[in-house]
Amino acid sequence: MEIIMSVVAGILFAAGIYNLLQKQLLRIVIGTVILSNGAHLFILTMGKLKRGAPPVLEYGVSEYADPLPQALILTSIVISFGLTSLLLVLSYRAAQENNTDNMEKLRGNHDE
Amino acid sequence: MMSNLAVLPIIIPLVSGILLAFFHTKTPFVRHAAKLLSVISTGVAAYVFYYVLQNGTVTLETGGWEAPYGIVLVADLLAVTLVLTTNIIGLACIFYAPHSLTEQKEKFYFYTFFFLLITGVSGAFLTGDLFNLFVFFEVLLMASYALITLGGEKVQLRESIKYVLVNLFSSIVFVTTVAFLYSVLGTVNMAQMAERVQEVEQQGILTTIGILLFFVFATKAALFPLYYWLPKPYTVPNPVVSAMFAALLTKVGVYSIIRMFTLVFVHKMEVTHELFIWIAGFTLVFGAIGALSTNNIKLVIAYNIIPAVGFMVMGVGIYNQTALSGSVYYMISDMIIKAALFLLAGAVAHVVGTPDLRKMKGLIHQLPLLGWLLFISAFVLAGVPPFSGFIGKLMIMQGGFADGEIAIVIIGLLSSLLILYSIMKIFVRGFWGEKDESITIDKKTVTALTWPVAFLVFFTVLLGIGAEMFYPVVDDISNQLMNPEIYIDSVFKE
Amino acid sequence: MLFAVLLPLVLTLLIPFLSKFKDKVHTGIFVFFIPLGIFIFFVRFIGEGFSPELESYPWIPSLGISLDFYLDGLSLLFVLLISGIGALVTFYSIFYLHKSEKLAHFYVYLLLFMTAMLGVVLSDNVYLLYTFWELTSISSFLLIGYWNHREGSRYGAMKSMLITVFGGLSMLGAFMLLHVITGVTSVQQMIGSVDLILSSDYLPLIMTLLLLGAFTKSAQFPFHIWLPDAMEAPTPVSAYLHSATMVKAGIFLVARFSPIFHGYEWFFIVVSGIGIITLCWASYMAVRQTDLKGILAFSTVSQLGMIMAMLGFGTEAAVFAAVFHILNHATFKGSLFMIAGIIDHESGTRDIRKLGGLMTLMPISATLALFAALSMAGVPLPFLNGFYSKELFFENSLHIGDTTLWIASFLKQAIPYLAVFGSIFTFVYSMYFLFGTFTGKQKLEQLPKKPHEAPIGMLIAPAILVFGVIFIGLFPNLFNETFLAHAAKAISGEDTHEHIVYWHGLKPAFYMSLIVVAFGTLLYLFRKKWWSIYRAIPGSLSFNRVYNGILKGLDVYTAKLTKSYMNGSLRRYTALIVSTIIIVTGLVMAGTNGFTFKTDDLAPVTIPEILVGIMVIAGAVGTILAKNNVAAIIILGVSGYGQALLFVFYRAPDLALTQLVIETITVALLLLCFHHLPQLSRRTEGAGFRLTNAVIAVGFGTLMTLIGISAHSSKWFTAISDYFLETSHDLGGGDNVVNVILVDMRGLDTLFEITVLGIAAFSIYSLIKLRSKEGE
Repeated sequence: MEIIMSVVAGILFAAGIYNLLQKQLLRIVIGTVILSNGAHLFILTMGKLKRGAPPVLEYGVSEYADPLPQALILTSIVISFGLTSLLLVLSYRAAQENNTDNMEKLRGNHDE
Repeated sequence: MMSNLAVLPIIIPLVSGILLAFFHTKTPFVRHAAKLLSVISTGVAAYVFYYVLQNGTVTLETGGWEAPYGIVLVADLLAVTLVLTTNIIGLACIFYAPHSLTEQKEKFYFYTFFFLLITGVSGAFLTGDLFNLFVFFEVLLMASYALITLGGEKVQLRESIKYVLVNLFSSIVFVTTVAFLYSVLGTVNMAQMAERVQEVEQQGILTTIGILLFFVFATKAALFPLYYWLPKPYTVPNPVVSAMFAALLTKVGVYSIIRMFTLVFVHKMEVTHELFIWIAGFTLVFGAIGALSTNNIKLVIAYNIIPAVGFMVMGVGIYNQTALSGSVYYMISDMIIKAALFLLAGAVAHVVGTPDLRKMKGLIHQLPLLGWLLFISAFVLAGVPPFSGFIGKLMIMQGGFADGEIAIVIIGLLSSLLILYSIMKIFVRGFWGEKDESITIDKKTVTALTWPVAFLVFFTVLLGIGAEMFYPVVDDISNQLMNPEIYIDSVFKE
Repeated sequence: MLFAVLLPLVLTLLIPFLSKFKDKVHTGIFVFFIPLGIFIFFVRFIGEGFSPELESYPWIPSLGISLDFYLDGLSLLFVLLISGIGALVTFYSIFYLHKSEKLAHFYVYLLLFMTAMLGVVLSDNVYLLYTFWELTSISSFLLIGYWNHREGSRYGAMKSMLITVFGGLSMLGAFMLLHVITGVTSVQQMIGSVDLILSSDYLPLIMTLLLLGAFTKSAQFPFHIWLPDAMEAPTPVSAYLHSATMVKAGIFLVARFSPIFHGYEWFFIVVSGIGIITLCWASYMAVRQTDLKGILAFSTVSQLGMIMAMLGFGTEAAVFAAVFHILNHATFKGSLFMIAGIIDHESGTRDIRKLGGLMTLMPISATLALFAALSMAGVPLPFLNGFYSKELFFENSLHIGDTTLWIASFLKQAIPYLAVFGSIFTFVYSMYFLFGTFTGKQKLEQLPKKPHEAPIGMLIAPAILVFGVIFIGLFPNLFNETFLAHAAKAISGEDTHEHIVYWHGLKPAFYMSLIVVAFGTLLYLFRKKWWSIYRAIPGSLSFNRVYNGILKGLDVYTAKLTKSYMNGSLRRYTALIVSTIIIVTGLVMAGTNGFTFKTDDLAPVTIPEILVGIMVIAGAVGTILAKNNVAAIIILGVSGYGQALLFVFYRAPDLALTQLVIETITVALLLLCFHHLPQLSRRTEGAGFRLTNAVIAVGFGTLMTLIGISAHSSKWFTAISDYFLETSHDLGGGDNVVNVILVDMRGLDTLFEITVLGIAAFSIYSLIKLRSKEGE
């Protein structure tokens, strides 16, 4: 299953990168969200899947899933969320000020 | 040696930033408080530096959880030296800021973001845990996003978004790489990683992950061919922000490369470190070419960040004690001089009203001190003695020659000439010539903007002429870098 | 010695103060005593019993950089030139520079130069030498740019700096190599380890780098182009830096390192070859100049070439002749520069086409020029020092040591002819300078000022130098044993007992001199007949064009190149960055056998998980396919919720909850933000665009998958998380291990995760609020 999940995460990365290479700001932002999802899936997969119970200690249970990746993902999810929110507002403001949401039109001039 | 000292350089700016957020509307008070807090922070950093210099590496297992399970902070000499440098630069910037920023920006949490940037940078230098490094990266990046967008002008927003997106991408790859490493090595503690890497037999996958991690840091450090995002966005925010970015952000990337590729990934040097030398060479050439390509003085200086990083990575690639000493020395020197140059360019652009070199002439008549500071800075950058740039470059290049890396050293020498030319152009075209009568200056502001620059340039001269004073520190650092067991022992053998 | 070197530097600090009184006392008067004092200090070392002295102070011992000063015959010669000519030039400048000029700047730069130049010739430590070497370039830059309101000044200053710093950096390369090979930084100790150096593989590289330094500084072909433009500097500076001292630093360097390369034939080939070419080319070009200082500049270049050539011969007699000529050249060229300055000062122009017949108006200057110019031409008269050294040059060009390489043998054959060729033109330009200015028809109407004789003070310095010309000419052997022999010995390493005589007999050297005078006179008299040759050679070709072309090219092509890839397109940047990562990491993976694949430790595959996996993928890919923005956002939500389901499957309840919440808010935010923003750009992407995206995207996805699989297949160690499971309850006080990790074991992460959120919140607030205040 880990192999399959690695492939799934890889496809998420591919989809994310594809979106990152789009012209439209919205798609680019979507791309970053997909990329983080892919990253989180990778983290989880790297800690082995489905070995034992959820890491909430219970009497008599000795096999638990690896808790560390889960903790790392939690931290990462929250950070990603902060980033996505900021990015969204920034995109909104940038598109509004520059009157376009096409990144290809937001190149600027080398010498200015 | 275990001590809470290790966390102070992180906590003090953190608390400062939070405190200042409460008073954000009371500008005069915040200004003074920020200066005071910055002085305190620098003082503490200096004390920690001195303490580590005297007593050796200080570690702190946060929350009392022993390494490698909890997060450990490792204040080794390299980390505390960089923390101190960071604070000194912060000090100059904080005195410059009120004269450069509009009051509006100050009110909108400039000082909070500023201190949190320092928090993130200091944390990144001090942490001994790879995932925690990621978290500190995010702190400093988030603070940098806040600073670069502060003001919300059209061009600023346009360029910031590129900056944010590229960094976001590299952060995501970073966290994924941490997961890969966790899978292979079963840990996120850097010292333990280093230990375990030595026991591994099939190392191909480690090298691959290492290279991926290198690219994460190389993107932040602005190495060839990943630096595209850097030059333009660095010219759009306020000079004081640019100065902080130039001094600190790329150097955190370089620091991470130095740390990981002297501590952990030292098993396959013929691949990794050889690659660094090639990349360093291209970085030197393309960075210097970039610096010559424009008439925007801020952009000239922004491009100059790139070859400097090339020099530092060249030292890592050469990987002997002389070259590593050189890299560290050059890094310290470059942090200071880049901050100075951005502040300087900001002051010039402020007076002239544009950063366009074609609209400047004869400024030496109005801005004599700034002109001569620029003149000296050109030689610091080019590595002309007796300034600090020379000492670093000399050691890197000596190390290169000693290992038979002839081509890269010659590229380094030639790029130094181009770097000198790029800055001298500003001096000759902008500062020499007939006086431009249309430019009027506000003496008070110019003086206030000049002193922080002079303060920083003074340090580069001191680092050059007084190199003997600082050399033992750097030698000690590179000795620790060449012998990773020192780092490992400081984490585990307590 | 340290004191002598640093004295001028220290006194620069006083100049701003002293220049306050410049209306009453010319600042130059204070400065004059410094070089004079240094001259007097060092002149006492002259004597037969002179032996080298070493003085050492630590500076950066850890890097082998120390203040080592070494005074041997060679440095003594240069020190006396620097301080002696320095005193005369300063004296001359008192009358040359008006008090209304920025005297403080001038004298600060000049003193800076003195320190630098004294440092260059006295340093025994290579890095110290390099430090002073660059300082001479810097001070020369500042002096050339003294009148920086002139375009020519700025151009000349930049040119000299770029060329000489280029040389300096390559010289540094040579020094570092020498240091690495020998392990020492002292020049004298390096000379002691000559065997190590000669047997090194890097010998050709070292020599090339070192000579690049010497040739650029001493304006050797084809780096000579900076010197004529350096004539933009005030004339005292030209006389001092660009004739008598700084340009001889390259000569000094070659002389200093001669003992190392003595037995290396390529050293002869390059040094003498370049030297003799420089001699010929520059003396030929000097005749074409119309600016008096231009003539002298090319003349300086050619004379330096001659000295360089003699150093390359390497024989004890040739080295002695070179040393002798260094001294002689300083006397006659220094005085000629000062006279050119006087003419400029008194007539307002240096254009030889406007000058003429000044002999009657400026008789003293004319007399001084006569002696100096004839000496420069090497006219065989027994009271001109230039003749002696010229004849020694001819003599030695016929007695070059044995050669083995064919190119060396060829050069050996050619040198005497080239020497005569170059000297003929030397004769021609000397006459041209002398007669063009002082004889012929007066063209006073073309002059900006009515010329008259210069004030006496201005004439003193050139008169002293011309006195030197005649004095040495009359007593050429006076300094041999006490002074010149020591210098020659420092270079060749052999005891020198030369005796200079006026009449050698009917030897080849004498015929060579005769040929020079005869042909020179003819060429000068009929110069109008062959003048047109300059239209063919060099015609429009020149090395200046090369230099200008390079600078122009740097400006244009760096901009073109940089703009071609730094085009501001985020898409381009991302594509390049991601492609680089794919290619390099992929290559490394392939090259190190990084891919591993093991199936022994895997979770079982179940259908529900696969279905949810497909949902996640479908959502992600769907965002690409969706034409409509709102649809894309909704589909993204599907993918995110799918991921939450996966978290449930994989025993991560906390994650699932968090993912659900975050995904919901993200989707809501996306909709909110883009609801307000009309879809401005229409998606017009060609097949090529999509293909590029797809290739890069699939490439990166594949790379990450491969690394992921390999990483998972390479679990070599027990993960540290067992410890968390064991201790969570007892030490952490909680049963939900993930929570305990977050708030306790890795509490620092969480603290700063919250900080990140906080910054984001403040930043979003500023982003939204601060815009309304913009423009205030």
